Amino acid sequence: MIRRAPRTFAEHSPILFPALMLVVFFVIPFSLMIAVSVFRRVPGGFYEPDFVFSNYERFLTTFFGGVMSFSLGLAGLVAAVAVGIAFPFTYRLVRLPRPNQIRWLVFLLSILSLSEVIIGFAWSTLLSRTAGITNLFVALGLMAEPQSLSPSFGALLAGLVYQAFPYTVLVLYPALARFDPYLVEAARTLGASPLRAFFTVVVPALRNTIVATTIMVFVFALGSYLLPQLLGRPQHWTLSVLITDQAIYQSNMPFAAAMAVFLVLVSLALVGLALLAGRREEVA
Amino acid sequence: MSALVLDGLTKRYGSTVAVHGASLRIPHGQFVCLLGPSGCGKTTLLRMIAGLEEPSGGRLLIDDRDITDTPAHTREFGMVFQSLALFPHLTAGENIAYPLRIRGVSRADQRRRAEELLELVRLPGVADRPVSKLSGGQRQRVAIARALALSPKLFLLDEPLSALDAKLREAMQIELKQLQRRLGITTIVVTHDQREAMTMADLVVVMSQGRIHQAASPMEVYRQPADAFVADFIGLTNLLDGQVVQPGTVQVPGGALSLPNLPPSGRVLLSIRPEEVIVHPTSGDGSNGSLNRLPGTLSFMRDLGSSVEFRIDVAGKEIIALSRPQDRPPVEPGGALSVELPPGSCVVLPPMVAS
Amino acid sequence: MTETSQKTRTHGGFSRRALLAGAGTLAATAAIGVAGFPHIARAQAKTLKVGVYGGYFKESFEKHIFPEFSKATGITVEPVAEPTGEAWLVQLEQAARARQAPADVSMMSQVAMLKGMAAELWAPFDLSKIPNASKVLPHLINKYPDGKVSGIGAVSWYITLVTNTKAYPEPPTSWAALWDPANKEKLGLLALVSNSFLLEVTAATFFGGTKHLDTEQGQLDAFKKLSELKNNVKLWYRDEAQFEAALKSGEIPMGQYYHDVTGLAAADGNPVRSTFPKEGGILDSGSWAVTRASKAGDLAHVFVDYMCQPQIQALLSRKVGTAPTIDRKLTDLTDKEFAAVSSDIPPIIPRYDLYQTKSDWLNQKWTEMIVG
Repeated sequence: MIRRAPRTFAEHSPILFPALMLVVFFVIPFSLMIAVSVFRRVPGGFYEPDFVFSNYERFLTTFFGGVMSFSLGLAGLVAAVAVGIAFPFTYRLVRLPRPNQIRWLVFLLSILSLSEVIIGFAWSTLLSRTAGITNLFVALGLMAEPQSLSPSFGALLAGLVYQAFPYTVLVLYPALARFDPYLVEAARTLGASPLRAFFTVVVPALRNTIVATTIMVFVFALGSYLLPQLLGRPQHWTLSVLITDQAIYQSNMPFAAAMAVFLVLVSLALVGLALLAGRREEVA
Repeated sequence: MSALVLDGLTKRYGSTVAVHGASLRIPHGQFVCLLGPSGCGKTTLLRMIAGLEEPSGGRLLIDDRDITDTPAHTREFGMVFQSLALFPHLTAGENIAYPLRIRGVSRADQRRRAEELLELVRLPGVADRPVSKLSGGQRQRVAIARALALSPKLFLLDEPLSALDAKLREAMQIELKQLQRRLGITTIVVTHDQREAMTMADLVVVMSQGRIHQAASPMEVYRQPADAFVADFIGLTNLLDGQVVQPGTVQVPGGALSLPNLPPSGRVLLSIRPEEVIVHPTSGDGSNGSLNRLPGTLSFMRDLGSSVEFRIDVAGKEIIALSRPQDRPPVEPGGALSVELPPGSCVVLPPMVAS
Repeated sequence: MTETSQKTRTHGGFSRRALLAGAGTLAATAAIGVAGFPHIARAQAKTLKVGVYGGYFKESFEKHIFPEFSKATGITVEPVAEPTGEAWLVQLEQAARARQAPADVSMMSQVAMLKGMAAELWAPFDLSKIPNASKVLPHLINKYPDGKVSGIGAVSWYITLVTNTKAYPEPPTSWAALWDPANKEKLGLLALVSNSFLLEVTAATFFGGTKHLDTEQGQLDAFKKLSELKNNVKLWYRDEAQFEAALKSGEIPMGQYYHDVTGLAAADGNPVRSTFPKEGGILDSGSWAVTRASKAGDLAHVFVDYMCQPQIQALLSRKVGTAPTIDRKLTDLTDKEFAAVSSDIPPIIPRYDLYQTKSDWLNQKWTEMIVG
């Protein structure tokens, strides 16, 4: 094992590949996007290299501000709900006998294989008046007549949470599987009910995991652009939907790029704030 | 009145039985060690007492109150886990104050009590340190302090010292015993280390394969083992198969012994501690005057410093003897000698059942 | 149109049409083969690269059109699948600067036609080499400001008022039905200003015609009127399959959709119908255009002429589901066949010019209108 700092080219080589991949798949595309975002849009045509901020100016309106806050709020809510459901679920899952765990994980992985379009269609059918779940409620006598529950904010939230759930479980799984079950037993012998032990020991002890997972789901939900179209009303369209519109339907690459850059920067800022808050809390 | 009564406590996992109808009465203020090899069911028994395992059968009573179905968090017992199970997100002080916090004690009182307890376990001034910054021994003390925070009726410890190095472990054993004496708290410790049990316990409960073999004082367990397992497990012993040939006489490999307390007939097992075996340099031929002497050959000898160990071949059976260095008989390996098994030192046990 | 019409023809209509496709092919193509083209020299075997929207259109053309065209003219067709959106226009432009032609002749959406014309990307057609072009309906001929022909109608299709027959036993007669308060939460409309053409529908229904959209005030009038139907809309759709399924089930019983696809769904027994409102259906279309970098202009003329023949237009109507780009009287389409793809009611023709010149403004207004 080499203990001293790597000096020769050969000694540096192990990091070359990941560094190259990072440059090729992140730095270059993101730089291109930043570049295009200051290009000049040619109305009725394409864009020309330039250095203008008009694309950002157009974005800085109350309308886009509203869409932006809705997108962030929606992503935050999806992250909170997904982690809120997946955390207790995974907590139970890691305590199941091995074969049952594997069955659950295979099931979750199979959900992952579903495309966003299929998930959107499945939920809009499930929440429809003609073939949806309310027909079951009517049959059970819980409802007077079937209702249409989609498109709506609830339908969108359900679809996004459904889509994010398997990711959330798979990210939480390793940390929860490593979690020392004796901590809960210790809490119980110290007078905490199982529920109390869960909230005073399990949740705070895994806080970093929870924060990291929430951020991942948040970013994941922020990028969603198909489900808002399939399950939401126009007021539920996220910034990603509008970016798609601009890029594909309006051929307005500079504006789409400006919105995308802004979205990336705002997400990064939020993630940074969350991490900072976490660290401060740790110090306090 | 007994503080704690175990009445036929049983735990089954499917078809395997982890604890087999354990019954025991533990008086107030006793220091009890559950002792046995790994997998003997001692930890399961402790966990049933703590309420962390639900018994498959039997009852558990404390001060004549049946608590078999009382959930763990309302039993008010303190427990120290083998892994210590300190909460990693809390400081030492917060760990100790956790049960007080759960009970809604004010922050100031939590703090005061935590410092009091740290004082008690002789670890003052670490209340604000995260547990990850503490040494193994310090964590041990924090775990003990936490378990004692509510002044529990019963103090349970599952292999509490196994993570410590040998020297620290010895010191902690003594300290734990002193602490228990000072508090007068009924304490149950699970251990597989018989030295540890001997050091600390008022009552040693020897377990094997889910059964309690003997529950007695350390001396009694050592001197008067209830059966072959206990005799063999506690310290070093010589076990001899014997056949009672006439009242008061038993035939063993290499000769016959005259012993009191023998059954009128049948097979028996004799246990004699190596330090009770007396080695004579002359070859005993079983003639008059050489009572309970068996002839043998010295096959191995070593000086252990505080004692000398002899391994003697008696009619194909190895007998181990220990003597003080100053009493060392003049024998050499390969030489003939005789061993004397004094009648008062031989414990007569029922014959070993082939299991 | 662009993206959406292509998607329809891949997602919405493909599977049913694929089933229908096989049956009539042999008979129809045999007839065309015999008709032949006396004025075309068959001598040299040449290759023409033809760009067609990828997916349904390309597959249909490869199956029903190109082989017969080669047989009749001796010109080999090399089909090129056009990507979605206006990416193809960008590619053609960039290639033209390098004097390259990824395709000689391409099927282009109307907005892309206009954008290409602004860049003088299209080589003018010589109509004397395309006798059949005289049959093409005048509004399907694209012209440069100086009168030169830049594009000739390739295919066209209608977007009409569609209803679920169970929810609406009587068909609606006017686009005004979209504004009827009785239809609250019942409509499915296309989500983009540039593919729904609802501004044109509004102008035609309430302001006497699409000419009203000439001025910004007229456009604002249309937006204001349009915002009144927002409460009736349950789904602003981008994915046609989603609306089609909802229409069939009655979940969303009214909306705008493709006439021919709706007809096929009805023929399959679904309770849906397509109605040409009295104001007319929306006629969207694609044109053939030749990039100025192409060196196969002559062959392209032969190809476009071939495509404008009445037999071919009838074949397209029967097999691909498009409306004829020529007067129906020139074709042998029966009334039923014609009604399956078109109507005699004068169409609402989209104001493609607006989507070229005011695209960003219209889009912004539209998005604010439906999102706000």
